[in-house]
Amino acid sequence: MQRELRHELRSRRSWLAILLYICSVVYVTYLAFQHDLEPTTWNALFWILIIFISMFAASGSFAGRDGEMLYIYTLVSSHKFIMARLVYNGVFMLLVSIAAFIAYCLFVGNPVGNIMVFFATLLLSVWGISSLLTMAFAIATKGGGGFALMAIISFPLLVPLLITAQHLSSLSMIPDATGYLGNMAALLALDALIAALCYLLFPYLWRD
Amino acid sequence: MLFLVYTAAAGFLVPVPAKPILHETIRNLYFHVCMWFSMMFIFTVSLVYSIKYLMNPDEESDIIASESANTGLVFGVLGLVTGMLWLRYTWGETGKDWWAPDPKLNGALIALLSYFAYIVLRMSIDDEQKKARVAAVYNIFAYVMMIVFVMIYPRLNNVDSLHPGNGGNPGFNQYDLDNHMRMVFYPAVMGWVMLSAWIASINIRIEKINRYNHNKI
Repeated sequence: MQRELRHELRSRRSWLAILLYICSVVYVTYLAFQHDLEPTTWNALFWILIIFISMFAASGSFAGRDGEMLYIYTLVSSHKFIMARLVYNGVFMLLVSIAAFIAYCLFVGNPVGNIMVFFATLLLSVWGISSLLTMAFAIATKGGGGFALMAIISFPLLVPLLITAQHLSSLSMIPDATGYLGNMAALLALDALIAALCYLLFPYLWRD
Repeated sequence: MLFLVYTAAAGFLVPVPAKPILHETIRNLYFHVCMWFSMMFIFTVSLVYSIKYLMNPDEESDIIASESANTGLVFGVLGLVTGMLWLRYTWGETGKDWWAPDPKLNGALIALLSYFAYIVLRMSIDDEQKKARVAAVYNIFAYVMMIVFVMIYPRLNNVDSLHPGNGGNPGFNQYDLDNHMRMVFYPAVMGWVMLSAWIASINIRIEKINRYNHNKI
């Protein structure tokens, strides 16, 4: 399993692709808005960017690996596979989203007041988003529908995560805001729930 | 068993629409609220049969799961439409808005979107068994997320719903759901839920016949 992950890390192509994707998307928003962004707009735009970027990243994660999947299938159990997948995708997406945040700050500006809260939010929500997208992508590949099908499937399910994350990050714009702990807990609970669902349901997708 | 469902539905349904009641929008209580009850009921049926399918794959549970999801979707759309009509005349500027920033509306829309996605997913897979399995997995996933969103989220951020009984709005119980209306409301709920079960059972039978014919050819 570790070997598989290492193999994945070595594939530079996906890293480069995602970085380029981030840069171009962020630059487009910069061109559209220049510098006059209200914090609310900043917030909305940032989370929309995060969705698109993470969808792009997730769709790369299973792509073009049919033969390899068969090989892995003979080696490891489905539970191990999905857990490794979730961890890997979580870490990958987290790095990607931090890169996106940095790029976004560079071009568009940074109204975040309480950086700790913001990063905690980013960590928790991106973790949830990535595991949900992993599952959605696994379903979509079975459906043979690729990116469009995945977007249709995952978007409605992403909304609870996104709304909580958006609310939290708008709280993080105010330096001395309180009341984020409950939301954090909710986000954590959502993450745990999604991970549990993936763990329980993935084996049924796996055997074919 | 199907006959039992049929007779019970008919028995409950007959008195419902014929009741003489207030000529006001409050009549909508018998339709709008019941639609959501029926939708949740029928989606729960769908969930149960999806789980059953994953435990023990047979065609019957798959048909029941998918057809009740379809039926639930119809009730969901009707619930949304009746809700929108009601909203238009009671919230905000009368006769102007079709939509309001309300957590329950978000939840409803999310539920509908995810079940439409369920249908799209089913359409895009050809192989029957694979379709059934993947759809069952998605159904469970979507249902759990929907319940979380509808039940837990509105209580979290003190985002008050504009609906009665939320955020300091008086509930229907207190001022206008008097015993007279209750006499209609409870049978109405029962009636609509039974109707949803009945429609689902018809759909299930149609689908069974379709598959039977298909297999014969």
